[in-house]
Parts: sequence; structure tokens; C-alpha cells
Amino acid sequence: MAYSRFFSATLLLTVFCGFLAAQAANDSAPALPEIAIKGDIPEAVVLKAADLAQMPRETVSVPDQDGSQISYEGVALRDILKKAGIPVGKDLRGKAMSSYILAKAHDGYQVLFSLGELGSDFGNEDIVVADKRDGKALFGYQGPLRLVCPKDKAGARSVRMLESIEFVRLQK
Amino acid sequence: MFGTILLAVFLLVGGGLHAQTYHWSLPKGFPKPRVPHDNPMSDEKVELGRRLFYDTRLSVNGKSSCATCHKQELAFTDGLPVAIGATGEEHPRGAMSLVNVAYSAVLTWSNPNMTELEQQALTPMFGELPIELGLRAGDGFLPRLRADAKYVLLFKRAFPVESDPLSIGNVTKAIACFERSIISARSPYDRYHYGGEDAAVSAAAKRGEILFFSQPLSCFRCHGGFNFSGGMHEVEFHNTGLYNLGGKYPEPNVGIFEFTKDPKDMGKFKAPALRNIALTAPYMHDGSIATLDEVLTHYAAGGRTIEGGRYAGIGHDNPNKDPLIGGFSLSAQGRADLIEFLKTLTDQDLLHDPRFANPW
Repeated sequence: MAYSRFFSATLLLTVFCGFLAAQAANDSAPALPEIAIKGDIPEAVVLKAADLAQMPRETVSVPDQDGSQISYEGVALRDILKKAGIPVGKDLRGKAMSSYILAKAHDGYQVLFSLGELGSDFGNEDIVVADKRDGKALFGYQGPLRLVCPKDKAGARSVRMLESIEFVRLQK
Repeated sequence: MFGTILLAVFLLVGGGLHAQTYHWSLPKGFPKPRVPHDNPMSDEKVELGRRLFYDTRLSVNGKSSCATCHKQELAFTDGLPVAIGATGEEHPRGAMSLVNVAYSAVLTWSNPNMTELEQQALTPMFGELPIELGLRAGDGFLPRLRADAKYVLLFKRAFPVESDPLSIGNVTKAIACFERSIISARSPYDRYHYGGEDAAVSAAAKRGEILFFSQPLSCFRCHGGFNFSGGMHEVEFHNTGLYNLGGKYPEPNVGIFEFTKDPKDMGKFKAPALRNIALTAPYMHDGSIATLDEVLTHYAAGGRTIEGGRYAGIGHDNPNKDPLIGGFSLSAQGRADLIEFLKTLTDQDLLHDPRFANPW
């Protein structure tokens, strides 16, 4: 009987702690810069801040609301996809043309891009996974990583708090 | 008397020496407000407008001015659920803040056609449904101003090319210029977000900011941009499920339906700017929610349920409700963080800025 009470209390405490942890996770800020590339690739890849710092850096500009230009610096999305083994460049042909990626944010927001629109021979979107804005690390709700799509007229695809990219092949 | 003479000398000398100019002191990220071509900003018009704004001679009984419902210390609101006119008549809706009103594409809670401050000023001055300031053409309003030597000089300087500048049209132009000058850009959030002062806001407020801009809450979808409001150029109106009387809202506050007569527009109101929102209680178009905490409860539930009385209904199920108002779960900590974030939008400098204060 005593054991049963102890077990019940422990279980309740565990559930309660789990609830608190889930709430904390729900309300907390994203962690340090890190992006996971997963999905239909041989092996999931995680790029940390140091990895992104060593890759070729690109800078793009987008207009701010006051008409001035905001400069975002980071790594080209194409380079990140290539590093994870996702077909880009010359490899983007045939069945790969029916593939897409899902960019997922910390808060659950998701945006889809077809590989075709990213390819330099096709849509040639110069999308950057940015970690800096005007030379400073992205902070608050913007960061620590975000997509920047300078050719888009609206900002809805420039995913803030970017956490992962999932690759999906519709034809194999 | 001596002050009037000094002012006269200053105005006459100053007015002759330089052309009218106006300098917007805007921080990075703040666009230059849109100004009508026929009423460019000038320091002279702003100063005249400030005096008119605070002058109780602009009411039928000398008891009220624009500032009666738009108090600087309350971010140019009045702290009341609905505004009360000079004669005691209640307005159906609450007085909206005038802070950053220069960026508003439309000006009132529910009139999509009211786009210019010059035009809007005529409503509180001369409107009869309800009576606000209670002025009527021919009741001595302009002669009262004309009898004041200060006003004669101020009008002359504000409108230097006009032979008789003391007119209703110029009264509204000057008031509009003063209202456009009321810019809030020095809140702790501004210092943090635009100024790079990491310590300007608390850790709780930073967590609240992330919640505000998160997908599940999506507060930013209606209260977006640097002004935390609807668009500068196109404004959307929203039915937030505040009422559900068989799909309708209580008369006369039916939203833009009053003007469009489109049933889908029933209960659609403008999303106000959230700057200084901690000071502008009570909330919603009719002041029917007392606190920010209760506002969050309303949105978390995806609409308000009123259990009894003549407004009983489940707002969540209002057929015209905006799909964005779907509800969300929010922990006690998240709720507190979000309110802390909203409090960082309070611009204390604005509340004490002598440029916006009563000059009388």
C-alpha cells in the first residue's frame, strides 16, 4: 500500500515535471545557431555555428520599411542543401525535379520550396540562411537563423527562427 | 500682454526670415509618414495645431477640447470604455490613441472611408451623432479665435500666403499636422530592437516577443510592422469573435458593415497599433475588456463567451470571425512574458515630451 502511494506520487511528480518541461520548451527562446537537414537523404546533417562560419558566406540586401536596405549575411541555401547531399546544380534533373524542401521554424511555422525554384538554371532564388543582420548576430524572434528570400515581394517565406530543413522526394 | 507682444515680434521677424520646414526625427526602421499634398508639415502649423488641440474654446460649452479624450499621459486616449462628449453624451466607441496616427491608412475603428486627419477632425468638431465637441457653424467659434491676438499671429505664420487664414479648413489642417507630429519611437522595445540596447528590456519581455511573433499565437499578423498595427497603405478589418448575437454584433457597433453593408463585414474592426498599449485600457472598440490579461484570455479562447444578459453568445463560433482567431494555449509563464513584452512598448518620453503638452 505504501509502495503504491509512493509509486503514484512519483508518477504524478514525473508527469508534472514533464508538463513543466514541455511548457518551458514551448515558451523558451531558440537555442544557439544550429540547423538540421533531414528527410530523404542518406544521413541527417546538423550544421552548427562553427560549420556555417566556415562555409562560403553570402550577403543579400532587402528593403526595410523606411526604404533603407537591410543587409543579411549567411550561407547560401543551395550550398547547405549540396552539403547534405540534396541534388542541386547539375544533379537537379529528372525525377529530382519533383522534389521539395520544407523549411521549419522553432515555432512550428513551415514553408515549402521546390528544388526547381532554388536551382541556378531554373528559378535561381538567391535564398540565404542568415545568421547576421547588418553585421550583428540575429536575436530575439528573428534568430538565431532565418531564411532571407530577397526576390520575394512579401516576407512570409523568409522563415524566422529557422531550425530544420526536410527534404522530400515525390518520385524515386 | 507682454507675452503677446513678444510672440508677435518673434512671429513677424521669424516668419519673414525662413521658409516653412519640418524635420521628422525618425529612427532607423521608421518610414517617413505619408502627408497630404495640400497640407505639408511645418513647425508653424504643428505649433498652431497644438494650441487648438488643447483649447476648450473648440467646444460648444468651453468644457472640452481634443485633449479631453486624447490625454498625453494616457498615450492620447482617455481611460474610458467609450468617449464622452462636451455635453455628456456617450460615443458608441472608445477614443483611439493618436500616437503614430500619421502611419494609419484609416483612422477610426470601423470607417474604411476615413483616411485623412483633416477630414476626420470635422467629426468630433461638428458631429451630432453623437455630440463630441458640439460646435456648429455660426456659433461664434471662429470669431472667438479671431478675437485672440495670439491666434491671429499663429494662423498668419502657419498659412503665410493666405490673406485670411483663419478658417475651419486651416483649423483642421493645423490640428492634423500636430497629430501627425506625435511619434512614439523611444520605448524600451525601440531601444532594444532598433538601438541595440540588449538590457533595455527584460528576459521575460524577450521571451514574450518571441511568443508575440510565433506561429501559434500570430499576434503579429494583425499587429505587425514597426507600429504593431495593420498596414500603412492597406488596412484589414477583423472580426475577433468578441460577440456572437446570431452572428451579429450589438448595434450600433457593427464594424465596417455599417458602411459596406456586406454581411461578411459584420463585426469587423481595425486592429489598433499596440504602441503604449499598457496605458490605453480598457480595450477593444467598445472598451469591453478591462485588462491586457483579459485580452489574452479572449484571444487564447479564440473568441469571447458571454454567458448571460443581452449580449450572451459564444464569440468563438461567430461565423464571420477571422480565421486567424483560432485560439492557442498559453502557460502562465508565457502569459506573463507576453504582457511584459507589451509593456516594453510604453514610451515614457512621449508621455512627458513638452512638444506634445498643453501649451495653455
